[in-house]
Amino acid sequence: MIRRHVYVIGLAAATLCLPTATAGAQDAGLEAWQKIYSVFSHPRCANCHVEDERPRWSGAHYGATRVHGMNVQRGPDGFGNAGMRCVTCHQQDNAAQLHGPPGAHGWHLAPKEMVWWQKSSQEICEQVKDPARNGNRTLEEIATHVRDDGLVAWGWAPGNGREPAPGSAQETYLLLQQWAAAGAPCPAE
Amino acid sequence: MKLNVNGRDHDIEVEPEMPLLWVLRDKLSILGPKFGCGIAQCGACTVFLDGEPVRSCSVTVGEVSGAVTTIEGLMPDGRMHPVQQAWIDEQVAQCGYCQAGQIMTAVALLEAIPNPSDEEIDNAMSGNLCRCGTYPRIRAAIKRAASANAGA
Ligand code: FES
Ligand code: FES
Repeated sequence: MIRRHVYVIGLAAATLCLPTATAGAQDAGLEAWQKIYSVFSHPRCANCHVEDERPRWSGAHYGATRVHGMNVQRGPDGFGNAGMRCVTCHQQDNAAQLHGPPGAHGWHLAPKEMVWWQKSSQEICEQVKDPARNGNRTLEEIATHVRDDGLVAWGWAPGNGREPAPGSAQETYLLLQQWAAAGAPCPAE
Repeated sequence: MKLNVNGRDHDIEVEPEMPLLWVLRDKLSILGPKFGCGIAQCGACTVFLDGEPVRSCSVTVGEVSGAVTTIEGLMPDGRMHPVQQAWIDEQVAQCGYCQAGQIMTAVALLEAIPNPSDEEIDNAMSGNLCRCGTYPRIRAAIKRAASANAGA
């Protein structure tokens, strides 16, 4: 009888605890996502994750937000137009001269469906999870892409007084893993 | 350090951080590419790196692994390049300072798109500034070179 009692109490406690534990994981996931969002929405990342044809110039030291000068556009492959490719100005490394063009290997725009520019936390979150809009990647593949890609890495080392994205590639990789492990929750609008 | 420019190998002693434009003009006395802004804003310094147009003021010589072509390299056999000929026929140049860069970009455009539309011309040429405002003649010369291509 006593035994049964304990069992019932245990069961009740477990039932009570269960939603709390899930909510805890959900909260931790959302907290991780919030930090990821602060990276993805940062101008060093979002300026080139645009829906239209034109990368943006924006961020702490850019003054007013503008479309990229010189009529620069996405072009058929995301690497610019014939005669004026991204690499025409953006080389392997940041130019040393003040206000010179930044550089990293394979400078180009993110595909159109990966829109972060002026999107809400929830919108970017849903987009990142959707294989049709994330380059058909698993969450683990997204995390390793963020950790290992040379152009993504530039966002944390933009050089020449440009404000870097928060944290680091490794921290963002770990946050993406934590977020995925917590069920990849997205914030409500 | 070795550098291949217009089909010729050069041995140069320079810091790898030196902009390619400095090397071309000051070390090799190749004066076609011009210095306008030094920060990839004007296009006067445009040359080809392995056939792709680049602003040579914003490429360090240490980043160069392939062959460099300047406007001098457009006529290896001494014959005018069709785009240069079109520039003369349309009398494009005013002061001329920007024109080496304009021609290099136009050549790159026409290699990729032999018969470009006005929009494609704008998309290629908007990074090459001309203080003299020769833009209408630049457009006309590109169209002339395109039709010369088509006729050839
Ligand atoms: S001098 Fe190189 S772009 Fe102006
Ligand atoms: S002809 Fe003078 S700057 Fe173009």
